[in-house]
Amino acid sequence: MDKVKPVADVVRSIPDGSHLALGGFAIARNVNTVVHELIRQQKKDLSLSQCVMGMDTDLLVGAGLVSRLIVGGGSLDRFGRVNCVNRARELGTVESLDTSSLAVCFGYLAGALGVSFMPIKSLIASETLDRLESGPGAEAYRRMTCPFTDEEYVLVRAIVPDVSFVHVQVADRNGNCQINGPRWENEEQAKAARRVIVITEELVSTDTIRHCPERTVIPAHRVEAVVHQPFGAHPTSVFGCYDYDSEHLRLYVDHSSSPERIQDYLEQYILSSRDYQEYLEKIGGTERLMKLKARKDRGY
Amino acid sequence: MTEVRATETMVAAGANELRDGEVVVVGVGLPQVACVLAKRTHAPSLTTLLEIGVVDCGPVDTPVGLADSRIFYGATCWSGFLDILGMNLHRGIVDVGFLGALEVDRHGNINTTLLKDGSGRVQYFNGSAGGNDVASLATRIMIIMRHGKRKLPAMLAHLTSPGFGDGRARGELGLRGDGPHRIITDKAILGFDPESHCASLVSVHPGVSIQDVVEHTGFPLHISDQTATTPLPTEEQLRLLREDIDPQRVYLT
Repeated sequence: MDKVKPVADVVRSIPDGSHLALGGFAIARNVNTVVHELIRQQKKDLSLSQCVMGMDTDLLVGAGLVSRLIVGGGSLDRFGRVNCVNRARELGTVESLDTSSLAVCFGYLAGALGVSFMPIKSLIASETLDRLESGPGAEAYRRMTCPFTDEEYVLVRAIVPDVSFVHVQVADRNGNCQINGPRWENEEQAKAARRVIVITEELVSTDTIRHCPERTVIPAHRVEAVVHQPFGAHPTSVFGCYDYDSEHLRLYVDHSSSPERIQDYLEQYILSSRDYQEYLEKIGGTERLMKLKARKDRGY
Repeated sequence: MTEVRATETMVAAGANELRDGEVVVVGVGLPQVACVLAKRTHAPSLTTLLEIGVVDCGPVDTPVGLADSRIFYGATCWSGFLDILGMNLHRGIVDVGFLGALEVDRHGNINTTLLKDGSGRVQYFNGSAGGNDVASLATRIMIIMRHGKRKLPAMLAHLTSPGFGDGRARGELGLRGDGPHRIITDKAILGFDPESHCASLVSVHPGVSIQDVVEHTGFPLHISDQTATTPLPTEEQLRLLREDIDPQRVYLT
């Protein structure tokens, strides 16, 4: 079944108020193709979840489209911090359930396994847990003594996103997708979600997938739609395909550090672009992108 | 050899704390550099784990952080959080958790979430990510950071990741692992008293006085009669750091 769709059609099917899980990590494989379209279509009141936030979540928060976060942490590595997210936390405009990478991952794992919670030995004896218990996380984090060993655990409630987005190197038209390099929480996150959307750098035949099935992380029967967008994670990196764009990341951090300048960024690069292709033209088109292409022997 | 930088002493001290054959979960920056240095010298069988899902990486170019493809290079295994933080760290087989911090208190509790200015205004930073998991679960915790009154305060602005809490034993707090072991700064190496779980001075770096350390520490520091001097990095360690591991001084500033 051919599931390849334009990103605009996919995003149109997402109601305001949805819980979206984003597959990026800091400055790697951010689902920017979808993020741009969510901003163009002004999808509102979103909940976002992710182990480690990157530019993807920061952009959506900067665009004022996010009401709630479930996250472990976030950064743009040495380029800077998630300024829009941090500003929203400081102003209290976003409800932020700040936990840990493993707590978010265990939440997805519970969702993916169809169990309602997962016991964890992190978070104990920390203000991280105190804040969750006394705030918006009270319904998602509880304590329990193990009936077998009497050991104390925190129970992380299952996280079941409405839609999970993951950016991958290779997929076929049916949605079988293969990830090259580390996969952070991609598998648990996708398999926990009600709907899975894959954005791929490259479309290949199903025969190509069958040639190395051990590399398939999310098989077709779990995937609702496939978006084909080369350089679709720019300016973040895609291992084996291209490096992060240092210059553009610095430009982004410069804009995201002020509430006025982030609006300029959104207008100039996203809202005034018809589609992702036009954005790629604005940042320098083929000539710029070719400079980011990965060396085959290094992956970056 | 030109003058040894404080960051080089810190990284060498961090490397010296690691034993061959150990399994280490590493954070971004100086901890990663210390692991590479240990592996290239006395600990060739050290296994480094990165939370993103990278086992035993062998970068040939200096990465800007955990999400940089440069740090995926040369790995023996690519997996994810569930493997690294779950089936290694949570499973209980990680010997050392090596972390950076915004603030650390006298009981080795770590803040990586936020700071407050004099008027109480809050500024947010990167948060926990895997930090809380590592601090909660690794057998011994090493923290590498700049020394300063505000970096080592009497009271944290936020307790992101637990050390010894209010000074209790880890088991009493409900935590696994033995807790904080060392705080390595640009002035000194701190350890923890096994009874009181309070920070004590282990050694001062060459050229730094005990008084200087005490003046720049925000909490009371236990000083024993025999405070040692931290050894300078060896010529071999310096050569590796400068020529091989971080020639562009991304981390060794």
